[in-house]
Amino acid sequence: MKKTLLSTAILSAALAVGMSTVQASDFPNKPLTLVVGFGAGGSTDIQARVLANVLEDELGQPVNVVNQPGAGGGIALTRLANNRDEGYTFAFGTSMTITYGPLATETAYQLDDFRYVAGVTLGQSAIVTGEDRPFGDSWESLIEYARENPGTSYATQTALDRMIIEYISQQEGLDLRIVPTAGGAGMAPLILSGDVDFAYSGGTHSGYAESGEMPVLLSLAEERLVAFPDAPSMQEAGYDINPAEIRVVMVPKNTPDAHVERLAEALEAATQDERFIEITEERILMPVVYLSEDEVTQTLTEQTESYKALIEELGGVPGAEE
Amino acid sequence: MTTDIAERRKNLWSGLGVTLLSCWLLIWIIPRYGGSGMAFGMHPQRLATLGAWVMLLCAAALALASLIQLKKSRAPLFKLPPLSNIWHQSWPFFYVLLFIGLATFIPLTWLAPFIVGTLVALLGERRWYVILLAAAIPTAALYLLTVHLMRIGVV
Amino acid sequence: MPELSAITGAFSDALTLHSISVILGGVLLGYLVGVIPGLNRSVAIAIAIPLTFYMSAYAAIAFLIGLSKGTAAGSAVSAILLNTPGEPSSAATCLDGYPMAKNGQPRKALKVGLLASVIGDLLSTLLLIAVVIPFASVALKFGPYELAAILIFALVFIAGMAGGSFLKGMAAGGMGVILGTVGLDPETGAMRLTFGFAELMEGVPILPLVIGTLALSEMFVQLDEYRRTKGGSSVRLGHNPDDDLSYGEFKKTLPTIFKSTGVGAFVGALPGLGPSVGSFMAYGLAKRGAKDPHSFGKGNPNGIAAAEAADNAVIPASYIPLFGLGIPGSVSAALLVGAFMIHGIQVGPLMLRDHPQMLFTIFAGMVVASLLMLAVGWYGLRIFAKVTNVPQNIVIPVVIFLCLAGIQVQGYGTFGLLTVFGFAIFGYFLKKHDYSFVTFLVAFIVTPMLEMNLRQSVILSGGEISILLQRPIALFFVVATVLMLLHLAWSSYRTYRQRRSVSL
Repeated sequence: MKKTLLSTAILSAALAVGMSTVQASDFPNKPLTLVVGFGAGGSTDIQARVLANVLEDELGQPVNVVNQPGAGGGIALTRLANNRDEGYTFAFGTSMTITYGPLATETAYQLDDFRYVAGVTLGQSAIVTGEDRPFGDSWESLIEYARENPGTSYATQTALDRMIIEYISQQEGLDLRIVPTAGGAGMAPLILSGDVDFAYSGGTHSGYAESGEMPVLLSLAEERLVAFPDAPSMQEAGYDINPAEIRVVMVPKNTPDAHVERLAEALEAATQDERFIEITEERILMPVVYLSEDEVTQTLTEQTESYKALIEELGGVPGAEE
Repeated sequence: MTTDIAERRKNLWSGLGVTLLSCWLLIWIIPRYGGSGMAFGMHPQRLATLGAWVMLLCAAALALASLIQLKKSRAPLFKLPPLSNIWHQSWPFFYVLLFIGLATFIPLTWLAPFIVGTLVALLGERRWYVILLAAAIPTAALYLLTVHLMRIGVV
Repeated sequence: MPELSAITGAFSDALTLHSISVILGGVLLGYLVGVIPGLNRSVAIAIAIPLTFYMSAYAAIAFLIGLSKGTAAGSAVSAILLNTPGEPSSAATCLDGYPMAKNGQPRKALKVGLLASVIGDLLSTLLLIAVVIPFASVALKFGPYELAAILIFALVFIAGMAGGSFLKGMAAGGMGVILGTVGLDPETGAMRLTFGFAELMEGVPILPLVIGTLALSEMFVQLDEYRRTKGGSSVRLGHNPDDDLSYGEFKKTLPTIFKSTGVGAFVGALPGLGPSVGSFMAYGLAKRGAKDPHSFGKGNPNGIAAAEAADNAVIPASYIPLFGLGIPGSVSAALLVGAFMIHGIQVGPLMLRDHPQMLFTIFAGMVVASLLMLAVGWYGLRIFAKVTNVPQNIVIPVVIFLCLAGIQVQGYGTFGLLTVFGFAIFGYFLKKHDYSFVTFLVAFIVTPMLEMNLRQSVILSGGEISILLQRPIALFFVVATVLMLLHLAWSSYRTYRQRRSVSL
């Protein structure tokens, strides 16, 4: 009895192993992994899950989403840089991690450690505030207010927005109290309760687009925000920075060209899939685009250079001891 | 009463050990690796330093109190446990460490039958079919979980 | 308050066969995963999320809700029977659960745990339904000053209730604080104590730490005992007549359950604190308020009741800031947000206006899930309690393997395995020398939150302490902490004098 049970177990295990080795010979022929450098439930994670679902249909193989949160996406990229999967593992995240990340802290990866298969969404980060503020919801009034009231508080989340606010306060001659927070969920209570005057938001504000509880003061995308067209962009407000973020799919640089092309094809199809469009444009309120590898790589390289110049102008990365 | 003494002795030495550890942390590790930077709110090392001080003070107090108690009851301060005792307590750690090392090259699922089966046998199991089942079932379960349910491949 | 017709409509939707079977599926899956040591909620979710794409919005969410509840109930089982909690929040359950199981009363322990879980969960869900809208704005009154004050209070409170030696407990707490600071400093961006390991940038990963310190170390401890007693110390599910839960005994734990639910709900409603803080605080409170505090840690059913009721009460309460303000207060809440969004629903204050039916149906689904959790747990008890009949020389190797597998499965790699191992050694010493791992764990969990809130408070107030006078809630907790410290110092001094006079 125990013997038959045992042999049946062994037999079925052998069958299972056998089945999974029958495969086609081109890419992809086994499940893929989509790594997200942010926590579950956030806007990047949600998009990633829908994207994975859509890609499954395009690529014909299961795509598993794995969260590796930490260091603003840095931990996931550190792992990806050492990955030898030849494209079976790829990361989905925001370009900020790779353009500004290595400049702000010592990272184990650099811009050229990856290939940027495609850009699929334009980030819509912003500087936001709450309701009932003495400066209303205009950027101009905020600046005036901050000039007259030293100690105006600002909540920062990332190294990049920290640099941006330092630059702005240098240009405008402000004396701000900069409060660190952890993520959108950390910033939201402070803004909603009024404990902090204004803050950076990577995407949290889209959840309050209708209720008006988190008005946008300044758009940190290249142009005005889709969901908050009244707020000026950085260029319009007179600052010479382009902090636009692109959500990209990245693979390690040694990935074979054929695999990268296949992924790019699938991504282009995904950007036209209505499920992806719905989640991106209607839920998290960000525009869907398709930017090819060359376009993205060029944009990111240019951006990194401009950040480097900015850091030099500021005299070092803000907040750290240089 | 004897267990009380033995407990006091354990407290003395563990207290001493923790005190030394916290000193090391305070003098060397935290200042060197604790991070630096201008911080308006709180220096990056402040909380860690605080924690280390708490460790130091409490462990030192513990060691001191135990020392006094032991001296009072005139019990010996040193009582080395028999060497075989140390081996008995530590071999499982080496066992697990060995497999962790192996897991860097070989997926855990293939090591599974050995991890479980060998230990079951080492612990005195003599019935061969029990050893085999104990080895096979967790392995099969892990395989099922990772390959079919979670679809992340062999782990 | 919503209209009665909306509520009854929601309940009738939730009680359809389809809905019940989906929720049941979630609860079962969660329970099974929770019971296995080394596996926890994230694994269950990783299995479940791809499935939910094929379900309707309501079904997907109901499934995930059932899953959360199932894992909470299931991890209590491994905590009680094996002293290996599946999640950090079940660690408090081990404290009285395992001793009770070892004393030949595993069924009683399991039943108390289950009933406490379900009641805590149900009451908290009802609270959620009743107060979500008005309370949400109350939650906003708890800013960084208040949170910092509460966290300090919680830390001191929990440190004070460490069983055994106060000094050892504090030393362990100090270690927890130091480890809690490891990682990227949010303000300066400096790497603290990471020694160059990228994996530590976000702090010591909690799962390997908990599994190593609590579960794997426990296996080593049990191995040691096993070799000494040659198998005589395992938990035996015999036909001990005292091993079942009588109604009278259950009634005695009710006050504890209610109080602990209150603590858990309070902690859950404040964004960010988490179920571990809730369960430990409730345990501490129960111990302080008991007539026989010394029986805690040795198998007092009230200990189990407190830990489990609070642990489970936190989760529904953490949906209050979620539905009321759009802020997820816990990992479970964050996952719900994701699931909602994928299915086209914007979570937040407008949910009541735009999707009221959906909201109430979900609430109804939560209640159904609680009840199903009771059913699954009750029958699960019988099956899983049989695990205790398996001889220890088989259980221990399997659990050791599961601990390692749990880490591998969640992608921590060799670093994770080494971390588990390192903490297993650490936990072994803590247990063998009777240093309270509870204080250590709580200090570790609380420190990052405390530091962040302290920083924010200091910066926002410009360093002026007088701000406290304008924030009564924060002031209250600061004063409470000081009083507590004085009380602790006084009572431990008194015990010291007593012991001295006895031994002289």
